[in-house]
Amino acid sequence: MNQRALRMTWLVARRELQQRGRTRVFAISTIILLLAVALGVALPAILAHNAKPERVGVVGTNPATLAVVVQEAGRLAGVKVTVVPQPDVATAEAALRSGDLGAVLVQGSEVLVKQVPIGGASAAGGTLPGALAQLAGLDRLFERVPGAAAAAAGGIALPVRGLVPPSGTLANRLTGLFTVVIVWVLISVYGTQIAMGIGEEKSSRIVEVLLAAVRPVQLLTGKVLGIGLLALGQAAAMVVAFVVAGFASGSSLVHGAATGIVLTGGVFIVVGYAFYCTAFAAAGSLVSRQSDVNSTVMPIQLPLIIAYVLSYTVLYANGANAFYHVLGFLPPTAPIAMPVLYAAGDVPLWQVMVSAVLCAAATVWMARIAAGIYRRSILRTGARVPLRQVLRNEPAQV
Amino acid sequence: MTGELQFDGLRRRFGSVTALDGLTFAVHAGQVFGFLGPNGAGKTTTMRAIFGVASLDAGDIRWRGEPVTEQARRRFGYMPEERGLYPGMKVLDQIEYFALLHDMSAQAARKAATHWLGRLGLGGREDARVDALSHGNQQRAQLAAALIHDPELLVLDEPFAGLDPAGVDDMSAILAERAQAGVTVLFSSHQLDLVEDICEAVAIIHHGRLVVSGPVADLQRGERPRLAVRVAGDQDGDWAGAVPPELGEVETVRGGTVLFALSPGADSQRILDIARAAGTVEHFSFEARRLSEVFRQATGASVGQAEAEHAAAALTAGAAQTDGRTAAGATR
Repeated sequence: MNQRALRMTWLVARRELQQRGRTRVFAISTIILLLAVALGVALPAILAHNAKPERVGVVGTNPATLAVVVQEAGRLAGVKVTVVPQPDVATAEAALRSGDLGAVLVQGSEVLVKQVPIGGASAAGGTLPGALAQLAGLDRLFERVPGAAAAAAGGIALPVRGLVPPSGTLANRLTGLFTVVIVWVLISVYGTQIAMGIGEEKSSRIVEVLLAAVRPVQLLTGKVLGIGLLALGQAAAMVVAFVVAGFASGSSLVHGAATGIVLTGGVFIVVGYAFYCTAFAAAGSLVSRQSDVNSTVMPIQLPLIIAYVLSYTVLYANGANAFYHVLGFLPPTAPIAMPVLYAAGDVPLWQVMVSAVLCAAATVWMARIAAGIYRRSILRTGARVPLRQVLRNEPAQV
Repeated sequence: MTGELQFDGLRRRFGSVTALDGLTFAVHAGQVFGFLGPNGAGKTTTMRAIFGVASLDAGDIRWRGEPVTEQARRRFGYMPEERGLYPGMKVLDQIEYFALLHDMSAQAARKAATHWLGRLGLGGREDARVDALSHGNQQRAQLAAALIHDPELLVLDEPFAGLDPAGVDDMSAILAERAQAGVTVLFSSHQLDLVEDICEAVAIIHHGRLVVSGPVADLQRGERPRLAVRVAGDQDGDWAGAVPPELGEVETVRGGTVLFALSPGADSQRILDIARAAGTVEHFSFEARRLSEVFRQATGASVGQAEAEHAAAALTAGAAQTDGRTAAGATR
């Protein structure tokens, strides 16, 4: 690209930024989104402070001592606790599975929870089971080894054992859900804006005046770049709001895996937007009236809608099925499906990266097809241009 | 044929509709040139082709003897028929944007935009949104967008459509002023008679073909100039029967005034002599033909008839295309 092409592209992008960024709609939607993020993060933390006491089962010969350990662990973890003595481990496990108990301390051997959080037991230091494990471990040490209290400054924890395999915590799943909602909203809102903007240029014939000075590819690139920068700005502001609100409210969301989920969402907003923006542009260039835009962009959004709807089955179940795993790697569905899979703890980080790279590569391919459609149909007026015709025809001499 | 802007054998078909059928004509430098014809004659397609926003099946367009390049186009100004402005954008921002796209510096763009808006009577409306302007003012803003980069060629598609008489006067004054400044001005219109006083030369087209072109004065006179003669008291123009056919033919008699189509090279004074012999001559003058009449004489149809015919043909073509598509879909 020569210098003039860059300048033209930037002029087009800058106009989008200025015109759209200045509107009241943009300001209001940004505020609403930021408030939603802040509330989404802070609310669980605020609610947790007023939560019902956590029921902790104890199994052992000395319930009184265990009760002291549990109370102390509750104090450390900032959770109210109720001690429920259990006759044996089997009964305690049953109560744990049914949800009657939140955790079980087995004297001198282990801490039982229903499911170990995705970060592992050690990452749960700030949580009740973590504190229990630490304290009970210390207690055991002091009992058995005289003088060990002094030596045990570092703390020796009991193992925390999960009854079912580790998976994403509810907090992570909620963060995942939240993240895909944002991905979905940003891609579909800004994608539709691209299509509407191009439809407007085409229907009002502004494009004829523009194309007398600017090449179609410059116009297209500038448009998706300008709108993309706005979307990216909004997404970045939301991540900042997430972190700030998280720390301010002491939410567990900003620790450990949740931040990774949000970052994954951020990556997929970028690659997802990149993948879809040109497709939306091509759709916009097919219409002659702006009112036709909505029906034209619908098919483009379909993969995202499918991935989005199915994401609930993953987030509320243990483990995604193979079909959803496939969706996680297909570029059209990956921007939604992959953050969901990661949030649910169903895929390791390297698979997320592979999917992001696949999606980014497919973006190039999509951009070439879409730019071709755009170039051939942007100046064709009359009825809506049939896609088949546009794909088949020779490009117009522009 | 020579000229600053030349159209040579332009051809373009849209499905079963022929928009341009070997159109050839030339526009000379510094002229206000009218590109006339009924709606559907192919004017817009031709103008869009200048800017490369419509493709041609054949033929070429030359600017100063060279095929029109991207660089040349940037020194052209274009005002499309459907008004190409962003409805929600402020007028000044918009005009400035077009200036920037034509390689002007930010400073020069702002200065030129302010100048042209003031010049076109939009001073004080710089911060108004385009959709808040009246139709006439939108037209002015559109013209400012076409003029902003001081183009060498100004192409305007139906600039007079929808303007009130004062607006027509303003627009024509600006076009004349630009031509004075050395700009070649090409504008289209389907209102042949409205614009005949505005342009120096015209090309009239029909069905994508040139009907006639040349200086307006020549076309109005024609090969057989029209002479209007009235003899007092002779309401039916009976005296004209004494005029020998080799001098000229009687075209029509209008309220006692006989209109002759003078034969080429014939002496009009001989007709005056015959008229004076018949009675008192109240009126004797050459009369300019209206361009609509020139069109009718050349094509055998009025502009209105031609437009109705085109509209009907477009409907039929559309229906045929739809049928063809359905049939193709069914056999697939």
